[in-house]
Amino acid sequence: MAAVQIPAGTGKLVGARVRRVEDARVLLGKSQFVDDVRLPGTVSIAFVRSPYAHARILKIDTTAARANPGVLAVLTYEDLPELSRALRLEWDPAMPSAPHKLVEWPVLAHEKVRFVGEAVAAIVAEDRYLAEDAAELVEVDYDPLEAVADMERAIEPGAPLVHQEWGDNILQAAGAEFGPVASAFEAADVVISERFSTGRHAALPLEPRGCLASYEAAADLLTMWSSTQIPHILRTNLAAILGAAENRVRVIAPDVGGGFGLKAHVFPEDIVTALAARITGRPVKWIEDRRENLIASMHAKHQIVTASLALDRDGMILGLRARCLSDIGAYTEFPFSSGLEAGVAAAAMPGPYKIPAYQFEAISIATNKATVGAYRGVGMPIAVFVMERLIDIAARRLAIDPAELRMRNMIRREDHPYTNVVGFQIESGSHREALAKALEMLGYEEFRARQTALRSRGRYIGVGIASYIETTAPSTAGWMMLGMRMGGYETATVRVDRAGKVTVLVGTHSHGQSHRTTFAQIAADELGVSLDDVRIEFGDTAKVPYGWGTGGSRSAVVGGGATMKASAVMREKILRIASRATEIPTDHLELRDGAVARKSGGEAVMSLAEVARLAYLPPGGNFAGEQPGLEVAETYEPPLMTHANSTHIVTVEVDTGTGQVRLDRYIVVEDCGTMINPMVVDGQIQGGVAQGIGSAMLEQIVYDGDGQILTGTLMDYLAPTATDVPRVEIAHLESPSPYTLGGIKGMGEGGAIAPPGAIANAVADALAPLGARVDVNEIPLTPERVAATIAKTRNSK
Amino acid sequence: MRMLAEQPDAKILAGGQSLMPMLNLRVAAPAALVDINRVAELSFIEVDGGEIRIGAMTRHRALETSPEIRAALPILARGALEIGHLAIRNRGTIGGSLVHADPAAEWPLLAVLLDAKLVARSTHGARTIAAREFFPGPLTSAIEPDEILTEIRFPILPAATRFGFAEICRRRGDFAIVAVACAIGFDSRNHCVSAEISIGGANPTPMIAAAAGATLKSTNEANAIEAAAEMAAAAADPSSDIHASAEFRRRLVRVLTERALRQCFDTAQVEEALDA
Amino acid sequence: MRDESFTERRTIRIVVNGVEAEREVGVRKLLADFIREDLSLTGTHLGCEHGVCGACTVILDGQSVRSCLMLAVQAEGCALETVEGLASDGKLSPLQEAFREEHALQCGFCTSGFLMTARELLKDEPNPDEQQVREVISGNLCRCTGYANIVSAIMRAAATRGVK
Repeated sequence: MAAVQIPAGTGKLVGARVRRVEDARVLLGKSQFVDDVRLPGTVSIAFVRSPYAHARILKIDTTAARANPGVLAVLTYEDLPELSRALRLEWDPAMPSAPHKLVEWPVLAHEKVRFVGEAVAAIVAEDRYLAEDAAELVEVDYDPLEAVADMERAIEPGAPLVHQEWGDNILQAAGAEFGPVASAFEAADVVISERFSTGRHAALPLEPRGCLASYEAAADLLTMWSSTQIPHILRTNLAAILGAAENRVRVIAPDVGGGFGLKAHVFPEDIVTALAARITGRPVKWIEDRRENLIASMHAKHQIVTASLALDRDGMILGLRARCLSDIGAYTEFPFSSGLEAGVAAAAMPGPYKIPAYQFEAISIATNKATVGAYRGVGMPIAVFVMERLIDIAARRLAIDPAELRMRNMIRREDHPYTNVVGFQIESGSHREALAKALEMLGYEEFRARQTALRSRGRYIGVGIASYIETTAPSTAGWMMLGMRMGGYETATVRVDRAGKVTVLVGTHSHGQSHRTTFAQIAADELGVSLDDVRIEFGDTAKVPYGWGTGGSRSAVVGGGATMKASAVMREKILRIASRATEIPTDHLELRDGAVARKSGGEAVMSLAEVARLAYLPPGGNFAGEQPGLEVAETYEPPLMTHANSTHIVTVEVDTGTGQVRLDRYIVVEDCGTMINPMVVDGQIQGGVAQGIGSAMLEQIVYDGDGQILTGTLMDYLAPTATDVPRVEIAHLESPSPYTLGGIKGMGEGGAIAPPGAIANAVADALAPLGARVDVNEIPLTPERVAATIAKTRNSK
Repeated sequence: MRMLAEQPDAKILAGGQSLMPMLNLRVAAPAALVDINRVAELSFIEVDGGEIRIGAMTRHRALETSPEIRAALPILARGALEIGHLAIRNRGTIGGSLVHADPAAEWPLLAVLLDAKLVARSTHGARTIAAREFFPGPLTSAIEPDEILTEIRFPILPAATRFGFAEICRRRGDFAIVAVACAIGFDSRNHCVSAEISIGGANPTPMIAAAAGATLKSTNEANAIEAAAEMAAAAADPSSDIHASAEFRRRLVRVLTERALRQCFDTAQVEEALDA
Repeated sequence: MRDESFTERRTIRIVVNGVEAEREVGVRKLLADFIREDLSLTGTHLGCEHGVCGACTVILDGQSVRSCLMLAVQAEGCALETVEGLASDGKLSPLQEAFREEHALQCGFCTSGFLMTARELLKDEPNPDEQQVREVISGNLCRCTGYANIVSAIMRAAATRGVK
């Protein structure tokens, strides 16, 4: 794949720790999140939700609710137009991934409820207090059915069916074999076989989900402000489900208070809120509370993986087998597929290692629980947890140092471009170098010495390593390989106005990722202007080009790439116009300090404002063959996938009395190619690590055997706080991608990918002296689990 | 109080740090709220002879930072500091916490440890309830619907008393999975003459480990601590929830009792060594 | 059906960021909703409505409180400070400036809660150490930053004031 040839800009801002242009208005309290948007006459919508995991709906009586003060409408399934009654995900047989059941998710429950929290009815009332009052008055008669809450039970014969028409509970079963797996396992000196499981997590953006829908009948225009990562995808689907022309639906994603994947979906509540606005003729606002967010939005990353690693006595990996079971809950993430979770885990498992043979199964299983959707890293944290634990266990078995075992098997710099066992082309990277650097930052040898000394005093410290490759920014074909019907390109429009100032319109949305700063850095460098002279616009589908949203660590590569490409085309046009006016050849000119200047520090010959005058309103009306104006739109699609790499090292101390684990140092060496703004990259790493620590140690959505959810508040679902997350020590290596514009690789999810693997390895390392077999294969590592492991380990001695 | 007498489904709103979440989540729906935040007479800290008298509406933060409390009964300041977070301590009150009666909360634990006296008033008058009789069951107090808890009286223990406190929470500021507080009295020869141990989170109500305390008296032997910890664990009757199983809680009772006791006895041993 | 007293309205007077305000408000309205809807100060955010996340933290009579755990009528006669009161003439306060310098915010939804918590901390303890800062802000959740830069920002603000 050839890189698009773009001459470098002045290069002053890309790579610099530029302060964020976003911050001032946020700090002043002037952000505008969806709940801050005020339209006159706005009313509130509240949902009646199922208290049962699985039940038949016998009767819904809304009489009392309708009669309550302030109520404008009460909606149930029967009140909805037929077209709008369900989110319907039909599999496209042309897709390269495994076949997939047809999923229909009624936007208000129809005949049955399939998880606790499923929306059954909706109340529209003058304010939220009144809407919630009335919601308590809706009487629903349920006939409870046997629920299936355990994924392994769900695939046994005779298990209750979540969707009767499926015939079983399997949404999707994928599998593949690469290389001679059977012979690899036969030839092995050592085979490590283990079972791993992960908690069910919540993405938990601080701003819950919400939207505000307003329908102007006279103009036949539906406008929805939504806390979404995917404004255009939401628009497309709203239009389709509401039976509206897409050009009569406008979605505005204003400031969004974090998404982390959760807000990269279209939800039943979005559809019902839009319908309510049409029905009542009033703007309708839906802001979920945290309980709804925890029980009724989406969960993530809940898998059971059984895996085997075959090695020879020198520790060289010969083969890998993995069976990934993913509990996807009652429906599927829309409009993509919850099959992604298991698929990504299976695809990412080989990581930075050279593995000659690999066989996997990825099975997505429906249960009577909330649906599983995207959350930072999707299947990658599980893949890394499994692979890195297998390597540590193998190292202990073979009496090889775990760092050394990794070194022996890692892809070397000179191997690039390296096509790995599943066919991903790893274009560049620094796998061994990152590991070496992280070990050096820790002082690995000194740590081992201290560990030995402390053990003799009854203290148990340990070190854990996790290395990974983060697959980022898939192209359209890349997404389809992963089973996602999703575009992998982005478009940017660059506009230089008549005063010579720059506006860039991009399709990707920023909700904490700092695009207003980083994209402006790119455009400013390409156009030789200051950061202040560039403004980035996104989020309003009426203004910006169609975009595929922010997710999969794609925005910097694809949105940034489109910005770079459009800015470069703009630069060429500016230089042509200036060249004609000054009669200096274009190759003697560059853009610098807001002007066209002679190259190599020569004098400015024309300001951008003067160029703009010639472009917009030339004397005599002679545009000299150029299109009038200064506006350029360019679309950019990177190659199949782009790969960042990283090593995390963590040290811990385990309290063998209580099972508590204290994190001591946390080290990350990250290689995401060219960094646009290292300050932002570091911020993403620190924040991602915090989420990974949550997954590894604290966070878990818990259901009982009947599918009743037990973690409906933030007192039960424990997100890490400032006393749980150490300051991450970060170093960077830069292996630019030879294939992407600017050499940029994605990295947004990275921080969250490795902590479960690294921390589990560190705990196992700390406990190693207690017994022969330390089983740290389940996260989160609650004190109780760790205490149980200690007891089991002591018994294994 | 008249309102409480007239409206049986009324709820008193003290600091609101437990009741307000229940209202917001619509798991509680009282017919009326009686806000006592402006009753200034209910907010005071007085050291008076052998006891500390604390108004029921005194905020955790005031107790955490009170010089009088730090001087007279430092375990109270320590306990207050462990409660929730700053903004919670700024509003939450000792009386509200006691009446809410969470078995893992700090004030019930300390009130039981020190056998505080709790004063309740209604239109019929006042009565005093011993802390060890104040918690008939989980999340239940001895306060009648028409009563208000007005005052808590903690006895000031002899100067030679040492306090121990050990708890484990999933995160700082969370309700403890198990918390143990102890107050150990020593004579002039540094021998244990009184030993009170209270345990939160292990029973439906805060528990006194009486037998464990009894074995500690008149001894300084290390194995007595271990034996006492075992006895405390045996006396506990924990239940399981999402944060910990009953079995694990019992284990924590043993480990944390031992640690809390060591805070008292190890100091004793250290000081003994210094004296010698 | 609710008791009628829930629809009762009362007039309350409070000092909001130094300016007196008088509003009629329903007795069951939360202080947080009152601040956002009746005072139009939308810089205070609601992240959980049960007192855990800290996003709605404001200063009431000099102390940080969760505005989701108070009724508006309880603020009668009080002095209320919100994030909108921190800057003067649109110029960021040293604390706000430190948040920008240290990249202490990403999506910004939690930020005002952290600013108000830090404001009380720095008032009581002008030179906190890192552990003190972490303990005080452990009542506020941030899902983006992983806290390290927030800690740095508060330490920086403390140091800046110390110089003055």
